Amino acid sequence: MKVVVSRSGGIAGLRVTWDVQVDEQPDAASWMQFLEALPWDEAEDTVPAPDRYIYRIRCAPHEVVLAEPQVHGAWKDLIDRVRAASEQ
Amino acid sequence: MGADVSGCWQTHRMTGTDHTQSPVPFGRHRAQPSSFPHGHTLGDTRDDTGGMRQAGGPAKPFRCGIVPPYLLARLAEVDDPRFSAAAEAARKSLRVDDPIRSLRLGERRTTALPTLPVDAVPGVATRTISDAGHLERLPGRVVRVEGAPPVADVAVNEAYDGLGDTHELYWSQYLRDSIDGRGLPLDATVHYGREYDNAFWDGERMVFGDGDGEVFNRFTISLSVIAHELTHGVTQYSANLAYQGQSGALNESVSDVFGALVEQYAAGQDVQSASWLIGAGLFTEQVQGQALRSMRAPGTAYDDDVLGKDPQPDSMSGYIETEDDYGGVHLNSGIPNRAFYLVAEAIGGNAWEAAGQIWYDTITGPNLTTTSDFATFAAATATAAVARYGEGSTEHDAVLAGWDGVGLGVGPLQAAS
Repeated sequence: MKVVVSRSGGIAGLRVTWDVQVDEQPDAASWMQFLEALPWDEAEDTVPAPDRYIYRIRCAPHEVVLAEPQVHGAWKDLIDRVRAASEQ
Repeated sequence: MGADVSGCWQTHRMTGTDHTQSPVPFGRHRAQPSSFPHGHTLGDTRDDTGGMRQAGGPAKPFRCGIVPPYLLARLAEVDDPRFSAAAEAARKSLRVDDPIRSLRLGERRTTALPTLPVDAVPGVATRTISDAGHLERLPGRVVRVEGAPPVADVAVNEAYDGLGDTHELYWSQYLRDSIDGRGLPLDATVHYGREYDNAFWDGERMVFGDGDGEVFNRFTISLSVIAHELTHGVTQYSANLAYQGQSGALNESVSDVFGALVEQYAAGQDVQSASWLIGAGLFTEQVQGQALRSMRAPGTAYDDDVLGKDPQPDSMSGYIETEDDYGGVHLNSGIPNRAFYLVAEAIGGNAWEAAGQIWYDTITGPNLTTTSDFATFAAATATAAVARYGEGSTEHDAVLAGWDGVGLGVGPLQAAS
């Protein structure tokens, strides 16, 4: 299972992508538990705001799009974890 | 038209040359992963007490014109009992907002002078700079107010001076008193977040990050970036172009246009001597690039092994269809950006004069809606040129040629209508 986080927008308009292959992680079981607990179907529609980031998170079969102000709590944790794992 | 860059999900990291298709972790030292800011990743939301809080502070939706008057009017007329509450709310909103909406309608007339608040000195900026202290909380601690002397913090002074320069252009050239045309105080926050690679307008204030120091310097370093953010406020109070698709790209372009004009006006640069770059100085020396964007030559601002190549199109033939960034608003803005440059170049002299005036008349005039596309905007600039400089004037011809140069021909009949 793979999680892909793509961040677009910002005044620079640069797209950045981080991804993690969950099965290859030493704490794969913890990852799976975390992913299954995320509120995939409860994400609200984004409200466009100039130059803010927008995140697209994919983890088949799920996909959510979050505006920067919506990124908090578990979503924030997920993005930080994927980014950290991706940059290792 | 249309290179489709949506759905370009790559599995390999840091290998691409085109950032629209390539993942780009913002670290320069590939062999030294420890250089990545793991301890304080971008957007760290821990506050001083170590507790977690909501990123970005309370969500602040756009407060101006979120429900357009025509929609309120339609809602107010609905008889269906299922919508009685909404209809009453709309009628109430129309009554409450009416004086404000009337003012804004007056403001949108190209010949109207701004309506001034009774207790403000017309044309004098009222700036307040706050320091977020590397948290993602707004507004932060006030560190410099209007009239106070410079402080030791360069970001604070750059924000203060940049807001002043931006206010000065709008007032001296277009008689617009601040963001709303009525002397709205200019509020900005610096040192937002940790290694935060961005600046934005949140509907009420301009917010500037410090950059990560590897790819980006502090965002107040560029006057065009400061003016870009303030202009998002001006657009919000005038054309209110929806931040999606072509109207979103126009919103972005308008911010780039006046961002560049503020920089040129402050430096006394004419069309030929200006750089036409947005965000010059923002990249660190480690990046192979001059700026975020080039209005004269979109797609040439940077070409870096990590960031990839500047992907902006310079004409409609390169228009990018994408789901990212609200339909590529920072990409397709290259098209109207270059159109503006071509208009300014054809007219010659100082771009903030005739060319800037035509664009200003357009965003404050009656011919745009919130969802206007490129073609509608182009026609509106031609109409504005005719209204101010006359049919067949040098300025009018320059506008027609400028849009034609990016693949958006504005027919003479459309222009005259």
